[in-house]
Amino acid sequence: MTHIDPVGALRAMLMIRTFEDTLARRKEHGFQLLSSGEEAVAVGLASALGAEDQLLTGGRSIGPALARGVAPERVMAELLGKSGGMNQGRAGRGHMSDPQAGFFGAHAVVGGNISIAAGVAMARQLDGDGGIVAILFGDGACGAGALHETLNMAAQWKLPILFVCNNNQLSVSTARDAALAVANLSDLGATFGMWARTIDGLDVQGVAAAARDAVRHIRDGLGPAFLECTSIRLRSHSTTARETRSRAELAELQTHCPIRRHAAALQADGIVDDVGLEQMRQDAAAEIAQAMAYAEASPYPTAQEVLRHVV
Amino acid sequence: MLYEQKPVMARMFFREAVTRAVREEMTRDPHILILGQDVGAFGGSYREFDGLYKIFGPDRIRDTPVAEAATIGIAAGAAAAGYRPLVSITYMDFLMLGFDALINYAAKLRYKTAGGLSAPMVVKTTAGAQGQGVAHSQCIEAWLMSVPGLRVVAPSTPADAYGLMKTALRGDGPVVYIDHKRLFPTPGDVPVTETSIPFGQACIRRDGTDLTLVSHGYMMRVASDAAQIVAQDGISCEVIDLRSLAPLDIDTVAGSVERTGRLLTLEEGQTVCGVGTEVATRTFERTGPKPWIRIGALPAPVSSNPVLEAACIPDAPRVADAIRTLLAR
Repeated sequence: MTHIDPVGALRAMLMIRTFEDTLARRKEHGFQLLSSGEEAVAVGLASALGAEDQLLTGGRSIGPALARGVAPERVMAELLGKSGGMNQGRAGRGHMSDPQAGFFGAHAVVGGNISIAAGVAMARQLDGDGGIVAILFGDGACGAGALHETLNMAAQWKLPILFVCNNNQLSVSTARDAALAVANLSDLGATFGMWARTIDGLDVQGVAAAARDAVRHIRDGLGPAFLECTSIRLRSHSTTARETRSRAELAELQTHCPIRRHAAALQADGIVDDVGLEQMRQDAAAEIAQAMAYAEASPYPTAQEVLRHVV
Repeated sequence: MLYEQKPVMARMFFREAVTRAVREEMTRDPHILILGQDVGAFGGSYREFDGLYKIFGPDRIRDTPVAEAATIGIAAGAAAAGYRPLVSITYMDFLMLGFDALINYAAKLRYKTAGGLSAPMVVKTTAGAQGQGVAHSQCIEAWLMSVPGLRVVAPSTPADAYGLMKTALRGDGPVVYIDHKRLFPTPGDVPVTETSIPFGQACIRRDGTDLTLVSHGYMMRVASDAAQIVAQDGISCEVIDLRSLAPLDIDTVAGSVERTGRLLTLEEGQTVCGVGTEVATRTFERTGPKPWIRIGALPAPVSSNPVLEAACIPDAPRVADAIRTLLAR
């Protein structure tokens, strides 16, 4: 059963890919953690969250922030270190946040944001406002003690939190199978008695449906849930990290691209045609060009601001 | 005319002063929570939360599993989302397990969100040696003083334990509140009326003219004892209790050193990059160089062996010797 607007999902994924490709062509920001190949996870998850919910992520946060609805121009300005960013350019890569948009924030220490997210969930639980929290992290975080400690406490306290593992199967250069002993990463949640499922993270409609089920479970007060979405990383760990895979491997991975796949499905169903798809690409390009223009026009902070907001 | 005078001070133990501050603040502010191991019905490892569970219940006072990293992280997240958690870390040595959430997240949150979010949380942790061995005795407050965005306080009296806790629970950023195993059973006078003690204000505990002795926490008792010993030789020590390590009240220390001309710093932790080294450096930036001796633990782990522990940690005779050495310079 589908709960997501399929055309909207395609637009959102195209926008994220265009945003990241545009950003990757810029060099002045140092480096970026891109999510090409993982758009279906971000967009599918975001479709299951409501305005009263909060999303937190690890460092690979651009796609999730955009999917959640943070304004692209503010994200672009933030990542380029400009004052027009949602955090005035001082958070930058791996640390941006926009709670008003339901994106509580990224924290680029792998595994570090998981317990933070559980704290936000505890606040929601104490407020009794029905809001839930989703925390998105990679397979790399699944070896971290902070995750295991938090899973236990979240289960014990029945916190309203959805653990979403975007398993892109690589931690910089280390393959998931070489790093993690469990069969399925969702087994980590199942161990603590949680609703737990492993799904195809390249299928945006499948992610949306599973996320919706998980969110319903949590809203019903049945405790936390753990959703593993198996995805792919089409780029290297960061824009400056060495690629460890061969060209042939990367070319093969492209055939699994979640955007291509969803577009082909919509075309096969007659929902979108070539002209419509091309129009969507152009719309995304125009939106991101506008975001980049905003970011470029925005000033850098002054050096005098360095000591502001410290304590 | 005879009339009944109400007492202005109440005598209580250090641990009771902590309890009173937390109880008053939890009554005033429903967003204050306590998280930690054995903080609930048990009342805290040092009985410093005695009776609170009965008043505030399991939602606001939560026993946690042995999971310092997640506990501090959950507290930081709840703080960022509108609550004011007090986390109890039974031994300061275990605070290391929660450094990521405390230092990488909570202390930087206000900065990285340009003031949009903050983490008003208190991490209360117990430092110091009392026969518990190499991983249950350390004083690592100097590590924390260099973290931008973190406030660090270390009371030495029941009145300060009370007043600094009140300020910590009303503050708007992460605070590490350091108490000491040997201080919990010590008594002192605490004002009957509700008061708080601002951070960043040292206190001159004893006036003197020959040298300035600066310390904090439990070592304040050692400092006072040493000052008493050398007073018999006619040596006059001015004894300053820092109370707050970040921010640090250098005005008070530098003013004293200007008068006495000599500085002795005393701490229970290591002297390398220690509290005393920082105090001296910043003092001499104001006053110019003065004769200075720093005393701390010897550069060795603190054993549970009573002979080795006593050998490692400063005591009053050792401090008194250093005072005499300093005066001879």
